[in-house]
Amino acid sequence: MTLEILHIDRARPYPPRVTAFTQHFWDSVAQGRLETTVCDDCGRFSFPPKPFCPHCWCTRTHWAELSGRGQLYSQTLIHAAPATFRDEAPYRVGIVDLNEGLRIATRVLSETTPGLDVPVQIVVLLYTDGPLFAARLSE
Amino acid sequence: MTIAATILGTAALPVGKWQTAPGTVPRVLEHEVLAKLVMEAVADAGIDKSDIGSMIFALPRPYTQQKYFATFMANYLRLPCSGTVAEMMGNGMTAALAFQAAVDEIRLGKTKVALALGVNFETATSSAEHMMSSMRATGDVDFHVPFGFTPISWYAMDAARYIHEFHSSREELATVAVKNRAHAVLNPIAQFRKPITLEQVLAQAPIVEPLGLYEVPARSDGAVCIVLAAEDVAKATGRPYARLRGQSFFHEGAHQISEVPNDMIALVAAQTAGRGALAEAGITPADIDLAELYAPCTIVEVLVSEALGLAPRGQGARQCAEGQTSLGGRIPICTSGGLQSRGHPAYVTPLYSFVEVADQLRGRAGARQVAGARLALTSAELGNYNAAMVHVLEAVQ
Repeated sequence: MTLEILHIDRARPYPPRVTAFTQHFWDSVAQGRLETTVCDDCGRFSFPPKPFCPHCWCTRTHWAELSGRGQLYSQTLIHAAPATFRDEAPYRVGIVDLNEGLRIATRVLSETTPGLDVPVQIVVLLYTDGPLFAARLSE
Repeated sequence: MTIAATILGTAALPVGKWQTAPGTVPRVLEHEVLAKLVMEAVADAGIDKSDIGSMIFALPRPYTQQKYFATFMANYLRLPCSGTVAEMMGNGMTAALAFQAAVDEIRLGKTKVALALGVNFETATSSAEHMMSSMRATGDVDFHVPFGFTPISWYAMDAARYIHEFHSSREELATVAVKNRAHAVLNPIAQFRKPITLEQVLAQAPIVEPLGLYEVPARSDGAVCIVLAAEDVAKATGRPYARLRGQSFFHEGAHQISEVPNDMIALVAAQTAGRGALAEAGITPADIDLAELYAPCTIVEVLVSEALGLAPRGQGARQCAEGQTSLGGRIPICTSGGLQSRGHPAYVTPLYSFVEVADQLRGRAGARQVAGARLALTSAELGNYNAAMVHVLEAVQ
């Protein structure tokens, strides 16, 4: 499933560090896919992706694509921002429970205060220097 | 049988803005402030300098220029120690870890008297710059921080969830700030001592919605020295003291959020550590006379009070609004004024909690004295209460 890609004409305020392992994750996001790791042994998902399973400590995992759909568990609008995010304030962040049973933290795209437990979908934010992602209320 | 540890003496700097920017003359410097408190706390305890065998410090903020602060202080105080001299670090739990390490020095028989002490100076750095550091302590640098989460944004999301699940409201949660300010009015070492109304709290600028300026902690400087002693030493002084009766720690193995969806606002770590500390003390929540909770925001005090069994689930905010957690109420919480009004010099905040309960249990809390206070509880935490440490202390007059 391909996620919608929104182009943002500036650099990320605080880019994530990319390792030889997480490069696959960020490259996939840039191409519109949200992927993470699944344990070869117990079958459980992890997020962030890891080269081992945090649940059973098995060291064999594989990449799997996520639906990018879930529910908004909570959210807040941040007015008092760290220096590097000052130009974006106020901005909205939230916690999303993905349908695959994973909880993630991300930006939330909503002009007004959204209700909780509403359906959301992940979209890609493609900045000039690389990707991030965000949750948008489902239509 | 382990040796019982006691709080025998305390001294604390009034919480406020003390730090001077580099280049100003004269500077207010950490070591001079703390050394004065060491003298005061030792006098309060009625022990001799030579009794002290260990000093456990809260790690100073990165803005403190003097590095290896503990060993610098061992020299500044000219205090040879045969136990341990070290600095502890654990985000908001830092000072509780220092306190517990000092307790353990006594319990293990390494010394009869130990100091738990520290200084947190940070206010010469702006909040926007300070958050460039603190955001990296309360989030995954690669998978949270790039979205702009700030330390208290996690608590704001607790508030949104609590309001949603329990049909509470910002107004109800904000009564915690009004109650804590009323307590701080009576506390000579509190940072903010002018009474405030609910209307004033709600009228403040938003910081992390739904929380405004008075519902979140201030930026603060502070310093504390606590003298801990084995009970035989405490008893020999003939002075009142507070005996440690229970302690427990729990880390839920999560950082801000659990990747496996859970009930985030149940505060499992506080529930677990609370049960452990109460069990060791052999008491129930109903036996507690007062609680000094580590609660940076209004919502956190509500959630912790529920997690510790001091209020029923979903009713903590309502019970605060009803006055049940005020001085004179069923279970007074944060008689010091709490982190919103007593102030929040984060790396030493739990030491201020121990100062408050020691004052209460020794019957010298003045106008905010809880009548007949015998058992007190403290909590400390890090992250979004991903880890909690709970202590139960008992008055011995």
